[in-house]
Amino acid sequence: MGKQNSNRREFLKRSAAVAAATATGLAGFPAIVRGQSGPIKIGVLHPVSGALAYSGGLSRLGAQIAIDEINAAGGIKSLGGAKIRTVLGDAQSKPDVGVSEVEKMNAEGVSAIVGAYASAICLATTQAAAKYNIPHVVDVGVADQIVERGLKNVFRFAPGYRTVSQQAMNYLHIMNTLAGKPAKTVMIIHEESLFGTGTANLLSQQLPGMGYQIVDVVKHANPTRDFNNIVLRMKALNPDIVIPANYYNEYALLVRTMKQQNVQPKAIFSVLGGGASSFKFVKEFPDVANGIIDCNHWYNPKDKRALALRRKVEAMKGQFYTYEVFLNYQAVHLLADGIERAKSRDRAAIIEALSNSTWDKHFMPYGPTKFVNGQNQGAQPLMMQVLKGDIKVVLPNTYAQAEPVFPWKA
Amino acid sequence: MKDLIALIVFGIVVAALPLFVSSGFVLNIVIMTLYAALLGQAWNILGGFGGQFSFGHAVFFGTGAYAAAVLQVKFGWNAWAALPAAVALGAAVGAFIGALSFRYGLRGSYFALVTLAFAEVFRILSNTFDFTGAGVGLMIPLTESAGNFQFTSRTGFLYVILGFTLAACLVAWWLKHSRYGAWLQAVRDNEESAAALGVNVFRVKLGATMISGALMSAGGVFYVQYFHYIDPHIAYGPGVSIEALLAPIVGGIGTLFGPLLGAAALHLFGELTRSFMGDAPGISLMVYGLLLVLMVTFLPRGIMGLLSGSPPVRKGGSRA
Repeated sequence: MGKQNSNRREFLKRSAAVAAATATGLAGFPAIVRGQSGPIKIGVLHPVSGALAYSGGLSRLGAQIAIDEINAAGGIKSLGGAKIRTVLGDAQSKPDVGVSEVEKMNAEGVSAIVGAYASAICLATTQAAAKYNIPHVVDVGVADQIVERGLKNVFRFAPGYRTVSQQAMNYLHIMNTLAGKPAKTVMIIHEESLFGTGTANLLSQQLPGMGYQIVDVVKHANPTRDFNNIVLRMKALNPDIVIPANYYNEYALLVRTMKQQNVQPKAIFSVLGGGASSFKFVKEFPDVANGIIDCNHWYNPKDKRALALRRKVEAMKGQFYTYEVFLNYQAVHLLADGIERAKSRDRAAIIEALSNSTWDKHFMPYGPTKFVNGQNQGAQPLMMQVLKGDIKVVLPNTYAQAEPVFPWKA
Repeated sequence: MKDLIALIVFGIVVAALPLFVSSGFVLNIVIMTLYAALLGQAWNILGGFGGQFSFGHAVFFGTGAYAAAVLQVKFGWNAWAALPAAVALGAAVGAFIGALSFRYGLRGSYFALVTLAFAEVFRILSNTFDFTGAGVGLMIPLTESAGNFQFTSRTGFLYVILGFTLAACLVAWWLKHSRYGAWLQAVRDNEESAAALGVNVFRVKLGATMISGALMSAGGVFYVQYFHYIDPHIAYGPGVSIEALLAPIVGGIGTLFGPLLGAAALHLFGELTRSFMGDAPGISLMVYGLLLVLMVTFLPRGIMGLLSGSPPVRKGGSRA
């Protein structure tokens, strides 16, 4: 009953907020009337419905856990313990809806926004937020253009696409060199959108310069429900390393088809989105997971706070500890630190505080934050491998939990 | 004439809106409503007035969007200069698809399928060639100024999309009152009879496809300038095609104000459901879908049918 009452109250509050926002706009008064007391409103904007709903839901979960923790620990202390109030937004996996949500959040008087997971949505929402000088902490959005357009309100804590891809090639090369360079040929299989095509382009341009021969680059549609032909071709070409750059379902199907057809390269190596950075994959496909390698966003495995959050998330029914969860968790904490130091809920003051951020109370392998043009300079991915049914960091050595097993012998 | 006066009044009211409305939230809703109305009216000219139902109008939208993006990014054109080129290319694609389809007598569901297929072909092509950015898509450099068709405030975009939408509505008004419009509607109602009366069916349908394609591509240019990014799925995916046909279906197919009313109703529903149910993922879309089903079921002639005193639906679904 209490829950129902709460929902009804929330519904009425929202109706009043939308009506008020519209009315103030129509009356010609400034639409943004930010209260100088009471809770600090933070927009949490993700694609929680549509094609990206799964990732969007996990992103929202990570942000919400962080906000609950901050509030439980006494809120923003420099503002007299002001609590954070979440203003949730659903971009419905579309950039235009993301912009509409930013407008609504602005009308509701948010001090900052965290989101919006996908690059295409982030490009639109960061720019919409810039019109109102709303600080926008980008949680994932790996496209480098997000932080290359000179928008002063945009801050990305995690690494961008170029850094991840470059680092992935470095790790691959180190691993291969340490093993005596057994791998000479590479086959890339990628999905057709920005993520897969961009990865394939970058790798196929740069790997030959590092001494690898690209034997084939195969593009596939989303969704693809049959990889038999691609794997037959793989069997004929017999590459040393297979690099898939695709989404979860296609990745799982590809790796399982390889297993069925008994194709065993020396490594299955992914950039930003393979099975070795997904506890879900390791749990659902234990027969094919062992040995696979990923270069992706990952936490410092030696940090107890990261492990505590993992336990907390895994205790929730049906939830997995993914990069969406911990990157959003950290993005909210980064923002909270900025508000704490700004000692203000004013947007410009928060932007200033984030620009000068040297925050180190996080569990990512980044070191203290330092933003240049909105990009955290220390952000880097890690390389993981599934070993004995668990995900282990294998490179770089500072964070490694195990030695990489390469070449992999099934 | 009353229609034209109503259209002018509508234009004046919307143009005056920024004088009274400062909320970006409200202005964004108005802009996106006008944008949906433009796509709807573009579809309505071919589907509503011409009776040629297209399921792949994204082919024109995407062509306009990509033309504007490619000309700016790859050739350094100014966005305003790219606009007429993109619109002309949209019309040219309309001529190409129309000529191929009508030459072989495709109509009804066959025409719908062939437009859907063309949109898919264009999606795959844009996904393949480097000059369209392939799967990565194209991003317009952010240089905000009116001279670059990138306004710093919503008001500039509002006036541009209002201009586009009014232009589309004026074309629809002209179709209602011109000889060419009469030919087009005659072809829609009975192609054989129209041909027997001396109407050049092929030319009339081709003209409507070109006009529709040109207006749709103007919508594509606007999208690129407003959101600064286009990829094959956004440009040629089914989402745009559905958005284009929803507004006239809800508002009233083959009417002047149907797409405007339909777009307004859809956006109002969309915003309301998102505002009130946005915290529960998917619920807003379910309610939105349910409202659409109810509207199509009980208002088969759209909102315009209701306003013009359309007879109610009798028990069993048949009309009185």
